[in-house]
Amino acid sequence: MAKTRFDFMGKRKFFFALSGALVVLSIVALLVRGLTFGVDFEGGTSMMLAGAGDVTTEEVRAALEEAGVPDTANATIQPTDDGSYIVRTAESDTAKAQAAFAQVAESLGLPEQDANVTTIGPGWGKNVTDASVLALIVSLAAILVYISIRFEYKMSFTAVLALLHDMVIVLGVYAISGREVTPNTIAAVLTILGYSLYDTIVVFHRIRENAAGLTKMSFMDMTNESINQVAMRWLNTGLIQVIPVLALLFFGGETLQDFAFAMAIGLIAAAYSTVGLASPLYALWKEREPKFQALKRKYEAQASK
Amino acid sequence: MKFKPTNTLALVSLVALMALSAWQFWPIGEKITQGLDIKGGLSVTLTAEPLSGAELTEDAVSRVETILVERVNGFGVSEASVQRQGQNAFLVQLPGVQNAEDALKLLGEPGKLEFVDLTSVTDTATIELIGRQLDAGQSAETTTLPKLDENMYEAFMTGEVITDARVTTDEVGNPAVSVSMDKQGTQVWGEVTSRLAASRGQVMIVLDGHAKSAPAVQTAILDGNTLITGSFTVDEARGLAAVLQSGAMPAQVGIDEARVVGPTLGKESLNQGLIAGLVGVALVALFMIAYYRGLGLVSVVSLLAYGVLMMGTLGILSRMNAFALTLPGIAGLILGIGVAADTSILIFERLKEEIETGKTHRSAAKSAVRHAIMTSIDADIVTLVSAIALYALAIGPVRGFAFTLIIGIVVDLIAALLFTGPVTRMLAEGTMSKAPAFWGVKGGVTRG
Repeated sequence: MAKTRFDFMGKRKFFFALSGALVVLSIVALLVRGLTFGVDFEGGTSMMLAGAGDVTTEEVRAALEEAGVPDTANATIQPTDDGSYIVRTAESDTAKAQAAFAQVAESLGLPEQDANVTTIGPGWGKNVTDASVLALIVSLAAILVYISIRFEYKMSFTAVLALLHDMVIVLGVYAISGREVTPNTIAAVLTILGYSLYDTIVVFHRIRENAAGLTKMSFMDMTNESINQVAMRWLNTGLIQVIPVLALLFFGGETLQDFAFAMAIGLIAAAYSTVGLASPLYALWKEREPKFQALKRKYEAQASK
Repeated sequence: MKFKPTNTLALVSLVALMALSAWQFWPIGEKITQGLDIKGGLSVTLTAEPLSGAELTEDAVSRVETILVERVNGFGVSEASVQRQGQNAFLVQLPGVQNAEDALKLLGEPGKLEFVDLTSVTDTATIELIGRQLDAGQSAETTTLPKLDENMYEAFMTGEVITDARVTTDEVGNPAVSVSMDKQGTQVWGEVTSRLAASRGQVMIVLDGHAKSAPAVQTAILDGNTLITGSFTVDEARGLAAVLQSGAMPAQVGIDEARVVGPTLGKESLNQGLIAGLVGVALVALFMIAYYRGLGLVSVVSLLAYGVLMMGTLGILSRMNAFALTLPGIAGLILGIGVAADTSILIFERLKEEIETGKTHRSAAKSAVRHAIMTSIDADIVTLVSAIALYALAIGPVRGFAFTLIIGIVVDLIAALLFTGPVTRMLAEGTMSKAPAFWGVKGGVTRG
């Protein structure tokens, strides 16, 4: 009944090798290069100085020094297109940072402006990470329980394995590209969790439907058949999820782009891992059951004739 | 064309819900609360850490919250809020506050509850004001008093002596606050009350420099067990008890993060988010129409319904002070577009498939809608489970994101049940077979 047949399961060794390579590469990158953490994790202050068109970087640095900001030699002073500066310093005392902003703006003779100052204490990044790890563990546990009850524990473990694969790859891309990790990145990585499972569930739903009373083919072939049956669904739902994310990546401001970058990679990895990882692993595991072992032997024998 | 009553009923209730929603969110700028990263202001995250040598109990954390609320109310900023996040973090939001220095200093202070003999206060203007606003025994929960100049009063006792403070009733059954204190406090309190009882002198209770209450002493209290009575409401009594209980911060409170966002920058971010959202919707709509033709149009209308219901829900939640739109929230909303369109895809693909097996349009539509919505519910629940865990446990931007995602999933299911499903079934009654190519359901030929 399927129109275009593609032997997804036949390519499983290739998929496994690809996934394995990506995961190893990601882990190596994480270990060797590590992640670049933004001001949110390192602690410090980021402030915007608007209308600073004819002020030089050196003048800004001098003004910071004068305002008592620590370690100004290592402060990053970044000009923007519209004649503003984004200044990042090591100041981690919130009240002092506010005072410094007012003083710097005054001594540089900047026009009257809104304050845009963010100060992050040294503990914030750790707090965010700790809470996120807790949230991650709890949601993984909840997902395992739900899929185990609603479907089967073998499905829940392969689905979660695919999920972890997606997350490692996202972090790996961050390590390789050197892109700054912010709490928003963590938020996006955690949300991939839910999205990654969406298409996995769609495929598993069909596999379960087809597995009932399976006698005409091996479990692996049936899995392949199931993926072919829902292939357009899988492709289109994946595309539709990525489209708004790409819109966010190209048109959203700085904060929104942060989310979008991690989400985009995560979604692509997630769509791939459903077909390339979760489904074949599940089928392999199922084929170890005596009932499906027999089916496998029967159809393998037929095929070799 | 024959309309099934259930389909018609679904559509009618959807239209009603949409009208209700539109009324709840229009005009959008007023009805949907904007977060600080959009409208500007000071946002501070504080965390409570245990004092040295002590453990951080749940009781201590909730007392920290009470104190923070007290202090934030003292700023007199409208729509200020304190929100518990995760285990021991608090998000304090002060809209419109640009001079963050003073606010920050005050929030992180260890906290001071003081008892002052009203006659010792030299700040006459304040005394007059307090006389007007704080009749003897009345709580200042609802009023905002100016901060007392610390050189103009002298405390005879601080909050550390309080061992317990709770709401109770006096002999005639009115709400009252009972207070007990330790040995040292009992002694000082005995002396002061003995002195003041004759003249019915008032004792002013001051939290972080703000007068909170000024009950008059009725009799000398020698055992420390004090009953503060007055014309309290239960809430006022509870507020006063909280003040007395809280006093000093029972934990080390540190400022983790402070962001001051100017209103212009926020506006700019909002506009960029809106543009990204519109582009996203437009592209999704184009894709759906190009691929699914007539059914694509159905899904575009269902996206519209989804959007209207979503905004309505956010409008209602805004009014209940349960929601404020932040940038991460906008990201959640935009990603919700994908979730909403996914449900349509599941229905349409299943429909095509069922038609290809040789079913009539009508029975194919019936079975497709049922199966696809079941699949969608399973997939949604998994997403929901992780979003709820994130919302409940995480701190920082992820919460705003998780929150809109949770609502998005629920609203999407409503839209599928009340619109996409019924309309697909209705179209299959006859409209589809008249122009199968337009509806993209020509199939039934390539049976293999």
